[in-house]
Amino acid sequence: MTEGQMHNLETQLRAAGRAFPYPPTPDIARAVSERLQPIPSPRRGVTPAWRPALSLTIGLVLIVLLGALAIPPVRAQILEFLQIGVIRILLVEPTPTPTPLPFTPTAPAGVIDLASTSTPTPTPRPTPTPLPSLLDLGGETDLERVQRQADFPVRLPAYPPDLGRPDRVFLQDLEGQVLVMVWLDPQQPGQVWLSLHEYVGERNLTGAKVGPETVDTTTVDGQPAVWAVGPYLLELRNGDYDLVRLIEGNVLIWEEGDVTYRLETDLSLEEAVRIAESLRPLN
Amino acid sequence: MEGSEQIRRARQGEGAAWEALVREHQQAVFRFAYLLLGDPDQAEDVAQETFLRAFRALDRFDPQRPFRPWVLSIAANLARNQRRSAGRYIAALRRLVKEAPAGPASLEALASQHWEAQALWGAVRQLGFDDQQVIYYRFFLDLPVAETAQALGVAEGTVKSRLSRALERLRIVIARHYPALQEGRQA
Repeated sequence: MTEGQMHNLETQLRAAGRAFPYPPTPDIARAVSERLQPIPSPRRGVTPAWRPALSLTIGLVLIVLLGALAIPPVRAQILEFLQIGVIRILLVEPTPTPTPLPFTPTAPAGVIDLASTSTPTPTPRPTPTPLPSLLDLGGETDLERVQRQADFPVRLPAYPPDLGRPDRVFLQDLEGQVLVMVWLDPQQPGQVWLSLHEYVGERNLTGAKVGPETVDTTTVDGQPAVWAVGPYLLELRNGDYDLVRLIEGNVLIWEEGDVTYRLETDLSLEEAVRIAESLRPLN
Repeated sequence: MEGSEQIRRARQGEGAAWEALVREHQQAVFRFAYLLLGDPDQAEDVAQETFLRAFRALDRFDPQRPFRPWVLSIAANLARNQRRSAGRYIAALRRLVKEAPAGPASLEALASQHWEAQALWGAVRQLGFDDQQVIYYRFFLDLPVAETAQALGVAEGTVKSRLSRALERLRIVIARHYPALQEGRQA
């Protein structure tokens, strides 16, 4: 590029910068001040100022969504948590009489699922709302590439026998690899029928799960597992919120070796466990 | 020095001083995030997080240095994470629950003086994150070279070489995909 061309392009860019139709700037200052209220001195330490901000970060996102979906908002007073692999289910206390789960917390780890045990009665089912699906995820790839790139052995369900290979495969790095395999509904090719997520989580990959109707314990190959019945909101995060999605189906979470598995499906618990126990290494 | 007194007062816990500081720089941070992400909701999230993180780190910030490059560098990191992660879900979900989702630009807008700016932005967005960053700093936010260097954490000479390479790549993108912009420039 000649000096003249460079100059012209710079002039054009400056003009573009001046004429650019930015959206109106929101009142960031007020929002930030509200999130910091009461504003503490940073000299008192990072944690007291930031912990509420973290909760509010989650809260702000969720309140928008919960409001839209008519699910009661959750006040995140943590009571205890379940832990399966790198997935943690936090129990929060939105009512004076939360229902504890028969599980003992273990050592902290990466992914956190935040589950509301808000009331013994089921959470009202939200009005069906069209939502973006897993198919919008970034990092699409194929199984062969995943086998080369993943830090863990890729395994596929052998049940149901005609399941075959996933229709879509995504590999993401959320401070730990997350493999998402998606099988589409043959009757409705745009709809996800089943998805299997394999995490090799590390610390700082955290998440929130809010409002499942049921959180129960079960086993996969004799190992503890968690069964959550949707719909509920899932938020994964790695310091910044990274993913928020309405889970309309049910989720089975279990761990084998260093890998934490998460199966999303509309199937029953029994069928989900059968699929989970059918995992075989990809040839 | 810019804002150093406000920073000192904010460090002492004076909320009004911090709010004033945010208010002074919120437009630059929001616009920068918008340019990088292309979504006003995501840009707002990033802008808020930027100032929250800046507040947390205020004790480590040298008040003798300009504040704007510092917060812009925080915004750049957040936007980078947002872009490469699944963060687009948030925007997608929010768009769905809004009454009036943002649509494509109107014909009138396209016909206006904004067309070239929009088209040029489209071309810049074809570039890698680092190239976009230096172009936005220099030409869209009008940051001087010194502040751009601070925001990027590089020497001033590096800004110039990095900018030169970014513009060369932009020129190729324009030639291939935005010939109308090239014609406009030649006219």
